[in-house]
Amino acid sequence: MRDEPIQTADHDRHPALSEAGRRLLLHLREHPHAPIYRNESGHRLRPPEVEQVRAHEREVMAAPVPAAESGPPEWLESWVQRCYELVPHFRARGVPPERFEDLPTVDRGDLGRDIARFVPDDVPLERLIHFRTSGTTGHPLLIASHPVVAARYLGYHRRALRRFGIELRHGRGQVGVVLLGHQRVCFTYVSVTPTQDEAGLAKINLHPDDWRHPDDRARYIDALAPEVLAGDPLSYAVLLELPVTCRPRALLCTSMTLLPGLRDRLADRFGCPVLDLYSMNEAGPIAVADPAVGGHVLLQPRMYVEILDPAGRPVPDGQRGEITLTGGFNFCLPLLRYRTGDYASLHTVAGEPVLMGLEGRPPVRFRTRAGAWVNNIEVTHLLRPFALARFRLHQDADGTLRFGWEGAGVEGADLRRTLLTLFGADQPLHLGPLPAEPAKHVQYTSDLPGAFP
Amino acid sequence: MKTEGPALESMLRRVMETPQDFLAEPRLGSSAGVGVAAVVGDLWRLLSHRPGPEVLALGGARGGSGDRNRLAVILLLCWLLADESFRSRPPSPEDLRTLLGEGAEELAAQVTAAKFISDPHRREELVRFSLARVGLRPRGESVAQAQDRLTSLSSVERARVMKASRAAEQRAREIREALARKAAEESADKWTRE
Repeated sequence: MRDEPIQTADHDRHPALSEAGRRLLLHLREHPHAPIYRNESGHRLRPPEVEQVRAHEREVMAAPVPAAESGPPEWLESWVQRCYELVPHFRARGVPPERFEDLPTVDRGDLGRDIARFVPDDVPLERLIHFRTSGTTGHPLLIASHPVVAARYLGYHRRALRRFGIELRHGRGQVGVVLLGHQRVCFTYVSVTPTQDEAGLAKINLHPDDWRHPDDRARYIDALAPEVLAGDPLSYAVLLELPVTCRPRALLCTSMTLLPGLRDRLADRFGCPVLDLYSMNEAGPIAVADPAVGGHVLLQPRMYVEILDPAGRPVPDGQRGEITLTGGFNFCLPLLRYRTGDYASLHTVAGEPVLMGLEGRPPVRFRTRAGAWVNNIEVTHLLRPFALARFRLHQDADGTLRFGWEGAGVEGADLRRTLLTLFGADQPLHLGPLPAEPAKHVQYTSDLPGAFP
Repeated sequence: MKTEGPALESMLRRVMETPQDFLAEPRLGSSAGVGVAAVVGDLWRLLSHRPGPEVLALGGARGGSGDRNRLAVILLLCWLLADESFRSRPPSPEDLRTLLGEGAEELAAQVTAAKFISDPHRREELVRFSLARVGLRPRGESVAQAQDRLTSLSSVERARVMKASRAAEQRAREIREALARKAAEESADKWTRE
């Protein structure tokens, strides 16, 4: 290991870095099996902000998330007032209507037109950062954020982990988390987490182009022995093919539908819980899947979740609709009836609010050979046993189905047999690989009239 | 303008019926005339507020050629705000201070106090401007109607809207520039990425 001073810019990325933290960064960068790190970043937290983030974590861990039927929270009215006073987009509307349900909704397109109009007037701009999100439409969107907001994510992760009996322990000189990607081009860097006593953070790309030798991937991950791994179904599918032997205490999965088949394989292989997080740049971690309750349990005490119909009206209790968010912890982007583009129904299970049947995109119906319509959720349900990293189902205008997939150890014949149980034995069905795509993609599409209810 | 206030007609009538005491020459320095600071203090007490030195200073002479008209406008505003309709739900001291401070300055820079009484358009401008500054709109009007009417009547309001719009554009530009900086591009640590 070379013992050289951290460059000046690193002071901004890692303010108040300790000697131990400095050595850990060097270790992560200079390890003989380390990848070719392409970028630099850091936590950027100033010492008083570290305390702020810790205080926020304590709040998040202690506060209950109100049950679905408890109605609008008491903070909602002042939140609306604040948005209408300080956020240019909402202020331009004039005075808010008296009933919350009459507030117009906002969607991704609104944010995309000019994100600047959603940043409140009282947010200082000197340390603004952004997260880029591609979404399913392919239009990149910049989400305004701040180092404190990014650091707050960990509080929600802790809340989710506690549900599975895990309290984070790694600290100084150890690696807290390795974030896995698998893309041709990926933002990669190393850092430390100050609220975790400067435990290490490495964001790496499992694509072989980022490594001096492909075998280094498993060696490096094993050498780091992270307490937590974070990734998406694609990167986890690649990880399963590597001879990694380390034993993380949990795997966090975001970005795409994690089918139970892949989840179970990961859990068996690594001997730890696999947490399927419903999370988005616009709002952070919203919910975590808990098989014991059959859905995604909400995580944010200060996030009001509504389920709306296409006209923006709340659906009757327990019915399916679009997940719509108000509140949140990103003070650079306060959400007010933000339509996520994701669909679920909201229930209360043992006093906790739970999203059931969460699907990433608007519902699509597929027609069976018998002429019946089946919802895409039924297809997802059917595919649960398979360890698919990614899949896509499309129906042509003539009714032909096209199923593309990626997933180690999954046999096409098994998929065919399973799908035909739903659609009919004589259903025309083409199976094939998926084209290379960005991480998020549209899972269900159709050219049939009537496919979009 | 969030809250409905008194009817426009009653306020217009009140302006037309401004008593002589509120039309008299304001006291400037050692000259004879109405002590505007004392009138301002009376208004504060009438509306159940306690006037501090900064409030009384609003009615003090500052010198300069436009000061006489500013004080005359403050007298007029005091008469308007002493209407009974304000007593049950008095405007906040902050809103009152803004109206009698910056508001009176802006009005006085455009129109003489006498014209606010004699000219029907200026009279309506005075009433609408005053109500808007204390968060009220005329009874029976929607927010949009009240805002439209005020903007079309009042050059002061038009100037204010333009200024606010320029400030908003400037802020939006600064946000876009901040988001485009290299440091913003580098972002910051999150334990998961979406």
